[in-house]
Amino acid sequence: MVEVRNLTKRYGANLAVDHVSFTIEEGSIVGFLGPNGAGKSTTMNIITGYLSATEGSVTVSGKNTLDDPNEVKKLIGYLPEQPPLYLDMTVKEYLNFVYELKKASQPRQQHLEEICKLVKIDNVYNRLVGNLSKGYKQRVGIAQALIGNPPVLILDEPTVGLDPKQIIEIRTLIKNLGRNHTVILSSHILPEVQAVCERIIVINNGKLVADGATDTLAHDLSHDHRLILRAEGPEREILHAIEAMEKVVDVYSMGEKEPGAFDFSVESDMDVDVRRDLFALMARNGWPVLGLKNTDLTLEDLFLQLTSTDAGTHAGDGKGEQ
Amino acid sequence: MIAVFKRELRSYFNSPIGYVCVAALTALYGLFYFMVMAGGSSSFISRYVYGSMFSFSMLVIPIITMKSLTDDQKNKTDQILLTAPVGVTAIVIGKFLASLFVFFLASTIGLLPAVAMSFFSSPSWGEILGNYIGTLLYGGAMISIGVFISSLTISQIIAAIGTFAVSVFLMYIDSLASSINNGLVATVVGWISFSSRYSIFTQGLFSVSSAVFFLSVMAIFVFLTARRIESRRWS
Repeated sequence: MVEVRNLTKRYGANLAVDHVSFTIEEGSIVGFLGPNGAGKSTTMNIITGYLSATEGSVTVSGKNTLDDPNEVKKLIGYLPEQPPLYLDMTVKEYLNFVYELKKASQPRQQHLEEICKLVKIDNVYNRLVGNLSKGYKQRVGIAQALIGNPPVLILDEPTVGLDPKQIIEIRTLIKNLGRNHTVILSSHILPEVQAVCERIIVINNGKLVADGATDTLAHDLSHDHRLILRAEGPEREILHAIEAMEKVVDVYSMGEKEPGAFDFSVESDMDVDVRRDLFALMARNGWPVLGLKNTDLTLEDLFLQLTSTDAGTHAGDGKGEQ
Repeated sequence: MIAVFKRELRSYFNSPIGYVCVAALTALYGLFYFMVMAGGSSSFISRYVYGSMFSFSMLVIPIITMKSLTDDQKNKTDQILLTAPVGVTAIVIGKFLASLFVFFLASTIGLLPAVAMSFFSSPSWGEILGNYIGTLLYGGAMISIGVFISSLTISQIIAAIGTFAVSVFLMYIDSLASSINNGLVATVVGWISFSSRYSIFTQGLFSVSSAVFFLSVMAIFVFLTARRIESRRWS
C-alpha cells in the first residue's frame, strides 16, 4: 500500500532522513518510533507530499508522489504534529472547508456527521476552533484527516497533549480505524505504540534501526538471555549453587528484594532454557522460588538500546522490580 | 481554488481586517467628496476624489495582503493546503482573488458618492470609471506583489512594510527614470512605472497596453508565489 524506497532528506549539510526504506501492507497499523528529532515527522511530511525528498521515492497504492502528487494526496489523510486548524472558523465551517478542499465525493452532511460522531466532536460543532481545548483541537485534527475517507491515515503524534481518558479514547479510535484503513502513527510514547500497533519501525538520527512485529521485535533483538530469579534462602549459597550449573554463563545477586528473599540475574547460553534445571536445583535445596521471569527486552529497553550511543549494556536492569 | 477563496474571504470578515479596510477606504472617499463639494463644484469630483484612489490603495493594499500567506506558514495551516489534492497555483490564485475581492469591494463602495451625485448633476463618468478600472488593475497588480511578499516571511509586519515600500518605489520610479542618462535603462525603468501606466486611465481612457501590463504583473507574481511555496518543499 505504502512503499518507501531509499528516502533521503537533506537540509543543507544536515541529513534528516537517511536512506529509509519500508513497505506497509494494506490494512495494518504501523508505529513509527523514535526520539524527538529522529526524522519521524520529516518522513511523514514527505509521504504526504508536504515536503519533497532529496532522494528516493514514495509510492502509495502504486502511484508515485512525483508523477501523480494529487492522486497520492487523495489517498492520504494526514494529521500533522500541530493540527492545521484555522482558529477563526467554527468546527462546522472548518470541516466544510476541508471537505471542499479535498473535493470529497461523499454526501456532505452525512459524511461530516459520521466523522464528528466518530471522534466525538458533535457537541462542539458550532464552536470556534480557537476556543476549543487542546484535546478537542486534536480531535478536530483527526476529523479533518478522515474527511474524504482516504484509505491511508498518517497521524503524527495523535495523542500529544490529551488527558489519560482521551488518550485511551483516541487509541481505541485508531485501533478501530485500523480495521479498514492503513494507519501510520508516530509517537515517542512506547506503551502507546505497543498498545495500538501491529508493527513497529524504529528510526533514529534519520536511519531506520529496527522494523518488525510489535510482539517479536523485542525478542528478536535481545542479545542476552537472562532470567530473573527470586528465591528465599541464603544469598551466598544460592549464588554458588547456580554458578555451579553447567549451562549458566553468568550469575549475580541483585540484592534483597523481600525479607529473606534475593533476586538473582541468571544468564545462560543463547539457545538453552535453564528454567527447569533451576527449579529442580532450588527444590532440591529447599529454597522456595518466589518468582522467575524472562527478561526479553521491553519496548523501553529496546528503544534505549537502539537509540542510545552506548548500546544498552545493561538494558533490562531494573526490571526485577515488579 | 474556490474552497481557498471562500475561506480566505471569510477570514477577512471574521477578523476586523476586512471591515477596517473597506471602512477606511469608504471614509476617505467620503471625506474627499465632502471637501470637494464644500469647496467647489461637482466637476472636480472625478479629479480629486477618484484621482486619489491610487494613493489610498497604496495605503490599504499592504494591510489586505499582509496575512495572505504569512499566517499559513506561522500556524502550519499550509500543511493542510499542501497535502490536499490541489495544485499550489490553485491555492495561490484562491488567496489572490480573495484579497482582490476585498479591494474590489472597497473600491466599488467608493463609487457611491458619484452615484449620489448623478441624481443632481452629471459627473464625468468617463473619468470616474477610468479611475475605477485603473485602480482595480493597479490594485490587482499590487495585490499580487503583496501576496508574493507575504510568502517570503512569516511576519505580517514585515510583509506589510515590504509591500508598502515596493508600492512607493513603483510609484516614484518614473521620476527616477528622468534622471537616468542611459537611454535604454531609462526606457526600461519608465516602462515598469506603475503610476504612468495608471495615469492614462485617470484621463478616462482605456489603455489596452496598460491593462495587459497590469494583468501580466498579476500573472507573473501569482506564478512566482506558487514557485516560492513549491521551493519551500525542496529546501
